[in-house]
Amino acid sequence: MSYPSPTEPGLVGLARAARWTGIRLRMGDAIGKGFSLLPIPIVYAIAALTYMKLAQPGPKLEAFLCWAGLALLLLPLGRSLYACFRRQPRYFGAMALDRHHGYRDRISNALAFGDLPASQRTPFMQAAMQDAVVTARSLKPRRAAPLHVPLELPVVAVLVALLGGLALLEVRTQRMVAPGRHLTPLVLAPDDLDLLKETAQQLAQQNQDPETLAALQRFNGLIEDIAQKRLDRSDVFGTLQQIERDLNRAGESEREALDEGLKALARELEKSALSKPLREPLESKKLDDAQRAMRELAEKLRRNKPPSKAELEQLRQALQKASQASSERLKQLEKMREELSQQRRLLQRKEQRSSDKQRQLEKLDRQLQRLDRQKQRSELAARQLSELDRQLASAAEKLFQELGLSAQDLERAAQDLNRLAEKQQSEQEKQKLLKQIEELRQLLRQQGQGGSQQMTRLLLFGQHARGEKGQGSQGKKGQPGKGQGQGQQGELPALGLGLSRGAGSMGGAEMPGAGVQGSPPKAGQGGPSAPDKGWGAGHDPNVKGEKSGTQAKTKDVSAAAVDTGEGSASSEVIYGAAQRGFVGRGYQKVYTDYKNVAERGMGQDQIPPGYRFYVQRYFQLIRPRE
Amino acid sequence: MADAENVREDVRAFQQKIGALREEIGRVIVGNREVIDGVLTCILGGSHALLEGVPGLGKTMLVRTLADALGLKFSRIQFTPDLMPADIIGTTVVDQTAAGGHVFEFRKGPVFANLVLADEVNRATPKTQSALLEAMQEHHVTVGRTSYRIEEPYFVLATQNPLEMEGTYPLPEAQLDRFFFKLEMPFPNREELHSIVDRTTTDHEVQVKSVLGREDILAMQKLVRSVPVARHVQDYAIRLLQATHPNSDIAPPKVRRYVRIGASPRGVQAILLASKARALFEGRFAAATDDIRASAPPALRHRILLSFEGEAEGISTDAVIREIIDQLPQAGV
Repeated sequence: MSYPSPTEPGLVGLARAARWTGIRLRMGDAIGKGFSLLPIPIVYAIAALTYMKLAQPGPKLEAFLCWAGLALLLLPLGRSLYACFRRQPRYFGAMALDRHHGYRDRISNALAFGDLPASQRTPFMQAAMQDAVVTARSLKPRRAAPLHVPLELPVVAVLVALLGGLALLEVRTQRMVAPGRHLTPLVLAPDDLDLLKETAQQLAQQNQDPETLAALQRFNGLIEDIAQKRLDRSDVFGTLQQIERDLNRAGESEREALDEGLKALARELEKSALSKPLREPLESKKLDDAQRAMRELAEKLRRNKPPSKAELEQLRQALQKASQASSERLKQLEKMREELSQQRRLLQRKEQRSSDKQRQLEKLDRQLQRLDRQKQRSELAARQLSELDRQLASAAEKLFQELGLSAQDLERAAQDLNRLAEKQQSEQEKQKLLKQIEELRQLLRQQGQGGSQQMTRLLLFGQHARGEKGQGSQGKKGQPGKGQGQGQQGELPALGLGLSRGAGSMGGAEMPGAGVQGSPPKAGQGGPSAPDKGWGAGHDPNVKGEKSGTQAKTKDVSAAAVDTGEGSASSEVIYGAAQRGFVGRGYQKVYTDYKNVAERGMGQDQIPPGYRFYVQRYFQLIRPRE
Repeated sequence: MADAENVREDVRAFQQKIGALREEIGRVIVGNREVIDGVLTCILGGSHALLEGVPGLGKTMLVRTLADALGLKFSRIQFTPDLMPADIIGTTVVDQTAAGGHVFEFRKGPVFANLVLADEVNRATPKTQSALLEAMQEHHVTVGRTSYRIEEPYFVLATQNPLEMEGTYPLPEAQLDRFFFKLEMPFPNREELHSIVDRTTTDHEVQVKSVLGREDILAMQKLVRSVPVARHVQDYAIRLLQATHPNSDIAPPKVRRYVRIGASPRGVQAILLASKARALFEGRFAAATDDIRASAPPALRHRILLSFEGEAEGISTDAVIREIIDQLPQAGV
């Protein structure tokens, strides 16, 4: 065996192998240490992701959890880096090579001796170095420092797969919404709903005012919501109130003020024979008529034959006063108020301490408040009528100078009246809708009092009206018998006037199924009962003509469109319809006639809110159902 | 280059001599390779060994054979409680000269030999033990005003019987520390017993030849001390010694719990010398950490003093040393 010199590249090769082994050891250590801690952040990530998916915390907490995860990830990373770069013994790699090859520290000793200055090396050291070079000819750093697959790798792989799966998994979570209130939906009979819809449609067709149309749209939405059973009573009432508010109920004071202003105007214009025709329409707030009358007056002034000077003077004074009516009234109110205030001050100064003084003071206060309100209204009226006043004043001024110019001013005044009329029209439309809302409110109130039984009855009636024989209808359907007695008579006789044969018997007790408020009479209700007691007893004393036959002659006569006087009487038609459901062409005619008369009547008379709806509902319930 | 070649030659010669010695001893002693190597290590390290084993395991035979094979002067002292120091180191007697006069003459005791077997050393009184231990440490004996040098190489092999501890005087720690190694004589296995029986119950008689001389031993001792120890290997030996101390930072839990006093610096000296010898035994030119690990148990087991808890739980010092070796990293930063 020939021993090389220690300066030979052999020792350099040993050093290189030792260094490479050291690097591999560091890498292996870093991998192992890193993997040993890697499950911690992954497990955390799984837990955090699960929590985030299930609990869905706020973005703040999610961000915190993410940051915490990143911080945890630094654990294995930091440990790896520390293992990779921590200080190691100088012959760390060489020792590993010695261990692996079983060289009994030959390489590390040789490198240690090689690091010494040559002068300090003993022969033994040189021999040891040469021995190492000769012995360690084929070093295997890869085997000496193998990069093992970390034991934790399967665990980490499983956890990572779990994490990936979890990230892809979309967990459907039910958001914890605050428990909603228990909705007891408001239920209206389909007939009522239909009626409300129809009314709303009619109003929409008549209306042009955008505010009213918007309110109508909301009203329709409300009806739709009720039909879909999405609202309870309080919701409905709340929405109705809101619509009412939108319709600007505050405009009532404006209307009142305008009424007052117009009346004052009318009073002044009455004083002239020429302008007298304006009084009536202005007082009754028929602004279209007033406008027409104003134009006629202007036309009179333009005629070839103008009015006499006295008439013109009278007209001038009337127009002038009329133009100043609002301001005069304001001044008058102001004066009154000043006087009352003066009285109050005097009363306060009196050293009288009695209850009389107090009462007087209170009375004065009330009067002052009333005057304030009147003043407000007058101011409002003055604002609304300012243009009209201006035109009238101008017309009065020019009356003796140039009649044509004066007429022009009156024309302009007529235009202003037209503006007021249009405004009034929209107000009327609003009023109609408000009335409808009030009707609905009343209906709901009544329904609330009637309870579910009333609704059941209405639904059952609707079923019968369509000619269906529902379950248990035997006992419920209107049986022929005596109808409502005294209580109802006289309410509807007008409906039958001049309609057809036997129509006068409407108020009679023989109308089948006409129970209280349209409810069908129950079985046996029509039977004989004690005189003057209960319903179904007695007769209308105003019965005219012969008693209608109670035998329903339901045989149709093919003589349509030709009133031959043949066919069933109206009462017979109604009776037949009540028995088989409200269908048939004959019934259609009778129904339309009756309904028109009823509506006309309602249009002429003052009917309290809610009652109009009853009548409407009645006709809605008994409408022909083809 | 020449020096290195000489070294290689010396090491090769050393190995041959050790091989011959082992072979010669092996003709008489069956097995016990570790004990024989341990004893040889002690001789080459220039120090002494404490051999512990039950009677009849061939302790005396080993030393006698060793003495014959090494061609050294051998003496055996059976320690008993009434043994006096003068009995072992010698005494001054009045002698008549040829001229008829009387002179005081020092008659050397049995310690004046190259190989001394101190059998059952723990049975003698401390006074007698200390007389032997002085000779062991100083390699000379002082009687009166005269010191008598003991001829080199000087090797004492003391034996102890781990049983029959009644009426014995256990060696104090300071004296135990003077022993290079404490070797434990294992009980022979079945094969070895067969060989022992075959050799001792027949008329087969073996004459041990002297394979080494006194000069050889001295040269070999010198060669052992020439073996270099790299810094990191020496550092490992030192850390190993430090780890035997319960207050040390690197002491393993077992040491902290069961050790009262750790090994003295003589321990690491013994380890390193033994490692050097071991490297030469194997034909290497420098001591390795493996040598340190192999030498640590015999060099430290009698230098570590167990705590009461360790004694109570029957913990052996070997177990403590094994724990240290297992847990101590080979290289320190």
